[in-house]
Amino acid sequence: MTPFLSVLTSVLAWVAAMLVAASLGVIGPARLRETWSELRDRLWDTRRVVAVLCVVLIASAVGRPSLLDVSRLFGFQATALIYGLEGGFVAWVQATFATSELTAYFSWVYVYGYAFLLSFPAIAYLALPRTVTLRRVLVAYALNYAIGLALYTLVFAHGPRNVMPDMVTPLLFATQPDVMALTSEVNVNSNVFPSLHTSLAVTVATFAVLTREEYPRWTPVAVWLSLSVVVATMYLGIHWLTDVVAGFALAFGSVFLAYRFVDPRENAVGSDDGGEQGRSDPGTGADG
Amino acid sequence: MTRPISRRAALAGLGTAAASAGCLGRAENIAGRDPHSQLTLEINATPADSDPNGIRIARQLEEHLTAVGIDVRLNTVGQTDLWRKVLINQNFDLYVGQFVETEPFDPDALYGLAHSRFVAEPGWQNPFGLTEIAVDDLLERQRRVTGSARTDAVDALQETVCDLQPFSVVAFPDALTAVQENRFAGWTEDRQPVSVSGLLELDATSDAGSGDDGSTDGDNATGGDTTDGGTTDGDTTDGDTTDGDETAAGADADGGAGAVLRLVTTDDRITENWNPIAAEYRKHGTFTGLLYDPLVRADGESTVPWLAADWERVDETTVDVTLRDAQWHDGEPVTAGDVAFTYEFLRDTSMGSVETAVPTPRFRGRSSIVEGERVIDDATVRLSVPDVNETVAARALQVPILPEHVWSERTGAATIAGFEFDFETTEAIVSNNADPVGSGPLRFVEATAGESVVFERNPDHFLARSASEDDADASDETTGPRAGIPDRYHGKPAFDRLRIEVLPSDISAVESVAEGLADATVSNLGPESVPRIGRSADTRLVSGRSAAFYHVGYNARRGPLSNPRFRAVVARLIDKPAIVDDAFEGYAQAAASPLAASPDAVPDSLAWIDGTDPVHPFFDDGGSLDVEAARAALRDVGYRFDDEGRLLSRGQ
Repeated sequence: MTPFLSVLTSVLAWVAAMLVAASLGVIGPARLRETWSELRDRLWDTRRVVAVLCVVLIASAVGRPSLLDVSRLFGFQATALIYGLEGGFVAWVQATFATSELTAYFSWVYVYGYAFLLSFPAIAYLALPRTVTLRRVLVAYALNYAIGLALYTLVFAHGPRNVMPDMVTPLLFATQPDVMALTSEVNVNSNVFPSLHTSLAVTVATFAVLTREEYPRWTPVAVWLSLSVVVATMYLGIHWLTDVVAGFALAFGSVFLAYRFVDPRENAVGSDDGGEQGRSDPGTGADG
Repeated sequence: MTRPISRRAALAGLGTAAASAGCLGRAENIAGRDPHSQLTLEINATPADSDPNGIRIARQLEEHLTAVGIDVRLNTVGQTDLWRKVLINQNFDLYVGQFVETEPFDPDALYGLAHSRFVAEPGWQNPFGLTEIAVDDLLERQRRVTGSARTDAVDALQETVCDLQPFSVVAFPDALTAVQENRFAGWTEDRQPVSVSGLLELDATSDAGSGDDGSTDGDNATGGDTTDGGTTDGDTTDGDTTDGDETAAGADADGGAGAVLRLVTTDDRITENWNPIAAEYRKHGTFTGLLYDPLVRADGESTVPWLAADWERVDETTVDVTLRDAQWHDGEPVTAGDVAFTYEFLRDTSMGSVETAVPTPRFRGRSSIVEGERVIDDATVRLSVPDVNETVAARALQVPILPEHVWSERTGAATIAGFEFDFETTEAIVSNNADPVGSGPLRFVEATAGESVVFERNPDHFLARSASEDDADASDETTGPRAGIPDRYHGKPAFDRLRIEVLPSDISAVESVAEGLADATVSNLGPESVPRIGRSADTRLVSGRSAAFYHVGYNARRGPLSNPRFRAVVARLIDKPAIVDDAFEGYAQAAASPLAASPDAVPDSLAWIDGTDPVHPFFDDGGSLDVEAARAALRDVGYRFDDEGRLLSRGQ
């Protein structure tokens, strides 16, 4: 088995196990049964948003190589600026906190915890009687990816591990080289601004806080995991503090826009123009 | 003495002062002066994923330049973009990079690198923009004279170049390479292992035919994980063989057929561009060097006839070259016409079709030796090499020979979607040369951009062809098809296919070799990867000193880098021994002269002894930078600092 496949298998196994555990512990069997009976209607309700997210993900996968070329040739070369701005902050983080236990924890969080963090809301919000939160979170994902891809194209920069290898160790790849086979399939080393790990994790945490009354047990888990992801991006030497700050901004912006685009009143099956709005506006985001 | 007022305060008060006092003339005289501001310099380097060493040099220089009061921008760009910026657009202040040649080279290599006649040309010819008559004269002289007179000229040339520092030589690296020895043996120990000659010298072992995809070999690596790795540790760069008792891999060998040499690299350029003259896409030109044969090859200290069966110096100004019987990969014969075309083409890739000549961005120094060419017959060409010595004349024969029937189609001005822009370049230079047609021992099979490329053994090549012929022919090595070729290249290459795969970093490249998924690494490894090599029983560290020296290049077209005294101070900010110790962990040799890898080329005055640079010693203060000494040196050569210690420069 190639390193890529073995890592992929282990990620899928971990995420599946955590999803089962979280579904039982957070959502509860009663709600899960109810969801199962209404699954078709709820999925039908969210079809447009799912389509939008798929379009964004496919466009991102297909367009990434050529956008990378555009970024290399015409993008704003920001490495020097970011490095000049924050200097050795990430090096300081590593020098101050790095232990082998923390490295193992953050490596796990960066890959496995992150994958779980992103997938659980889809199940949790599908289990709510109203699909509005689910649609909002999916729109927010789509916005994160679309705006993130646009920023990747506009800004060309390398992360701290590539700029100051004397002070910043690529901890993730040094301890788990196989993981690099996975991450290099979905990312390149010049896509650092903004940190999509940060923005998506913070997006999930924001929704978790906003829906704390529905899922009180999920909120602390999500907040803890997402802050761990945020710290991991810097601790592992992958992202600059600047990328992380931009990631927070992107997350809050995406959540705000998702709330504006998805109207809570429109809820019924096969509904009116609210869904239409949800479809077209993220498209605008992709252009920006 | 009054306190100086900041420019902002001065401007704020200026209006009132001018209006009230009526001394507009004096105010104008002050305000009309451009203010001094802090000097800003940009250092360009490739990120650690591409090359773990160069960025370390850039980082040290950045810290030291910052310490003396310069505003430094440390910029990382990909390998293609770095050379595009430096070589093609010449839009840089400083860069950190490696020289193109990996084998020890003749001093004439400096001709292309530093002669002012190339100052307006993009490419590897004088990227620094150096314009020094003294250097030009010595470069011309070493081409002309012979014997001790040439030695003297080369000595003087190195001294002058070191004084002027158009670039600062930092160190000659050991080309660290992780290799699996159970499929191919004979990795060179004294030179860069993955080079044209290094790859041709490889021998297949009995296991070489097995495991096309390497999946069967994976078990070996895990089984051997616990065995010692001590032999490749530390500074035993020769790395004694760590042969384990290997058994598993041979199990499914199918008789040596289909032997694939599997290499891994972090450099994806060879998967998308095979143009031997595209400067920004070639690192050392190893693989294009196997696709395209030159007339002769430098082999150690001797010169071996390659595509040329023989060459003869007819008189002072001409060389007659006779060709071997050879074919292009598309079946066309290689003729004297192709050779004549190549030299004319390298001088002007537009072949006279655009107004100003568009010379090749690579091989310019070598091809500039030949001033004219005439086809005598199909297999003989007469090259005009006026007034140069034997050594330099032979260097002229080391350019890749290109097929006229392919490249003559590419002499037009380069266009985008049919539109011609004022790029002053030709299709030949910007072409990625898909499906390359060469005459070399390897030919192109297929590639996936960014992922992999596959070459195969060219069975019609004279190295391979002779192997199948009868013994009588083989014994007659003076007239046979491989006459003059050293024995070790006979019947080579030893692999049927060469597959190069792109991986994201040096660590994953080493892991891939350690797991038996690849036979060797191509791209530069950082010293951190050495312990990983030791952990796998079948994997060995091979390293030979490379001539591709790391250097800091300066753009002498821009102030203050145009000032050789300023460059000399910058050179003294580079702590070469510390870089060798910390960044290379000893796998490099610091040097002052670019010829330090070439045998007996360096004069005593430039020899690296006592651990310090003989010409531009580091401002050393007990192991760290002596900032005050550096600033004093800058003041001595006319630079000034403001009261916050910032180095001042007028409007950049």
